[in-house]
Amino acid sequence: MTHLAQTLILGLLIGGVYALMASGLTLIFGVMKVINVAQGALLILAALFTFELWTRTGMDPMVAILVTTPLMFGLGWAIYRLFVARVRNAPISMTVLLTFALAITLEGVMGVVWKNVFRSVTPGYFTRSFHVGGLFIPQAQLYGCGVALLMLGLLFVFLTKTWSGRAIRAASENAQGAQLVGVNVNGVAAMTFAIGVATTGAGGSILSVLYSFFPASHYLWISRLLGIIVLGGMGSLPGAFIAALMLGVAEALTQTYISTRWATVVPYVVILVVLLIRPQGLMGSKLREDVAA
Amino acid sequence: MGRRGSKLLGILAVVALVTAACSSSDDGGGGDGDGGTIKIGASLPLTGDFSQPGGEAKRGYEIWQQLTNENGGLLGKQVELTILDDASDQNTVVSDYNRLISQEKVDLLLGTFSSLLNLPASAVAEKNDMVYVEPAGGAPDMFSRGFTYLFFAQQATATHQGDLFSQYILSLPEGERPTTAAYPTQDDPFAAPVIDGIRAQLEAGGIETVYQTVYPPETTNFDTIASDIKASGAELVAHGAVFEDGIGMIRSFQKVGYSPASFFETSAPSNSSQFSDAIGLQNTEGIFYAVSWHPDTDTPLNAEFVAAYKAKFDGAVPAEDAADGFAAAQVLQAAVEATGGLDQAAIRDYLHANSVDTILGTLSWDETGAPQQAFLLAQWQDGASQIVLPEDLATTDAIVAPKPDWAS
Repeated sequence: MTHLAQTLILGLLIGGVYALMASGLTLIFGVMKVINVAQGALLILAALFTFELWTRTGMDPMVAILVTTPLMFGLGWAIYRLFVARVRNAPISMTVLLTFALAITLEGVMGVVWKNVFRSVTPGYFTRSFHVGGLFIPQAQLYGCGVALLMLGLLFVFLTKTWSGRAIRAASENAQGAQLVGVNVNGVAAMTFAIGVATTGAGGSILSVLYSFFPASHYLWISRLLGIIVLGGMGSLPGAFIAALMLGVAEALTQTYISTRWATVVPYVVILVVLLIRPQGLMGSKLREDVAA
Repeated sequence: MGRRGSKLLGILAVVALVTAACSSSDDGGGGDGDGGTIKIGASLPLTGDFSQPGGEAKRGYEIWQQLTNENGGLLGKQVELTILDDASDQNTVVSDYNRLISQEKVDLLLGTFSSLLNLPASAVAEKNDMVYVEPAGGAPDMFSRGFTYLFFAQQATATHQGDLFSQYILSLPEGERPTTAAYPTQDDPFAAPVIDGIRAQLEAGGIETVYQTVYPPETTNFDTIASDIKASGAELVAHGAVFEDGIGMIRSFQKVGYSPASFFETSAPSNSSQFSDAIGLQNTEGIFYAVSWHPDTDTPLNAEFVAAYKAKFDGAVPAEDAADGFAAAQVLQAAVEATGGLDQAAIRDYLHANSVDTILGTLSWDETGAPQQAFLLAQWQDGASQIVLPEDLATTDAIVAPKPDWAS
């Protein structure tokens, strides 16, 4: 019983972090119908920025989020203006190709600048745990999950309480309608993309403590994040949150009770099962392509 | 010889060079190589999953080239290296070696890194009747295909890599000897057989297996596995790691508050400062690993290799992977010099019949190209890696046991 509780705790903590990482991806898809395959590479880039800050100044990775988030926001804005805006209305396969090319380019650049060496940020608490009863709660996971939930909360408040946030949601629900009531849909798209990429700032900083990483690690992350947003319903933020927690728990349970061999397959199995049984995901809305066309 | 004599010799040399240059277009670069150089080709994983060891192997090849050329070259000719990047991809490595042989027309080949990539690459060399000395790739599958041109330039294949560790554990007096063991390993053709070998030997010696698992290379989170091992109560852990997973497992052991009395891990602990930086120097104490090379052993050219590497790469200590690359090139060099030419069949026959001294020690091969020696057993002690077994190559008499608790 303790063992099961322990497994659930570990799964939920990781799930909280997954939720933050997936939020940007699902947000971008929701508003722009662009699948940003480079999200994983941007995550690793933010982790490398955190690593630089930590080694040069000793800045705690959780504090470094205050630096990496605006940095990634700016980078997201630039990527949108320079590349994504040009294929904005092209078929979705074109945007996938473009962002995949971006991911590979970023991997190459990171390899040249930071070398193909495994890195990790190791503040004092990264291997410590709180012991409660017979259970242990790793401190890094707890802080990481806490910060991730805080960032998600801020994002939620922004989307529901501010004019810009409501504009994003309006554009995601119905772009033409939003345009009619005075929303600058193109400006909203740029801002959404930038915010989506900005979430990798916090995500990458947390990742840098929880995992060791190197430039090619991004493939693993993007597949996991895609699994989450497909399960949650492409474009649905609450869906991605629930799906991330489920995936975290499912991975942990699979490792303990089935086989470690199968744990990394979980995201792919999730994608397949969801596509078969409920293609719109947990909280996604059905696409009415017949009407939209 | 007077001045006139030396002038005549000079003219003769020029004539000889010109004719050699003219005729070389006919023989296609084979035979004794064209012009004044010998071309050696290799493909290495310089990007992708194996880029870290691949980059080190490249450095090893390059240091060997530098030292060889400084000492008069190979058969009196300068060595030219062509190293392609296979991006850690099995298809790319095949096309790379085909290109080296048919387009670059290299005189000799050196192998790539990891069993995964050497499996298809060595088949290309075998088909073209070219000697293939590989620096890393000791999976049993490599040597079960009846290849005759393949040679593995380390001391032992993967299943025998942990032999000295199992022997040491079983030699401990009862009471000190662990009774239970856990065997987590990555699903990697080089890591898993090492752990299988150790498990078979320890089980035969009466040590009970209480946990074993094989996890895929994509695994990044080890908290659950560490928690399961802790729950199993194992006193000994033999972990089949590549690199990242080795670090991840140790971190997770610390998080769950578990420290095995005996801890063996493949590959990761041999990455000197990269390993100690990642887990913290104090935490390395007592960790065992099997290793092919150590910077302090007294083997031919070892000191020169370490010095040249340090001079070229900002004072860094070579990684084992760089030393393995260097040793592979030494093996090829020894055979070429002993046979006095570039005849691939002669080189092959020489290596099957003779042993070669390298910076790893003396190596010899059976008819499948599998080496016949034993890996060194190393242990981290006081923040440095030491060879503890075999006794004649040991750099210290002490063995730390049991492993102290994690420092932080």
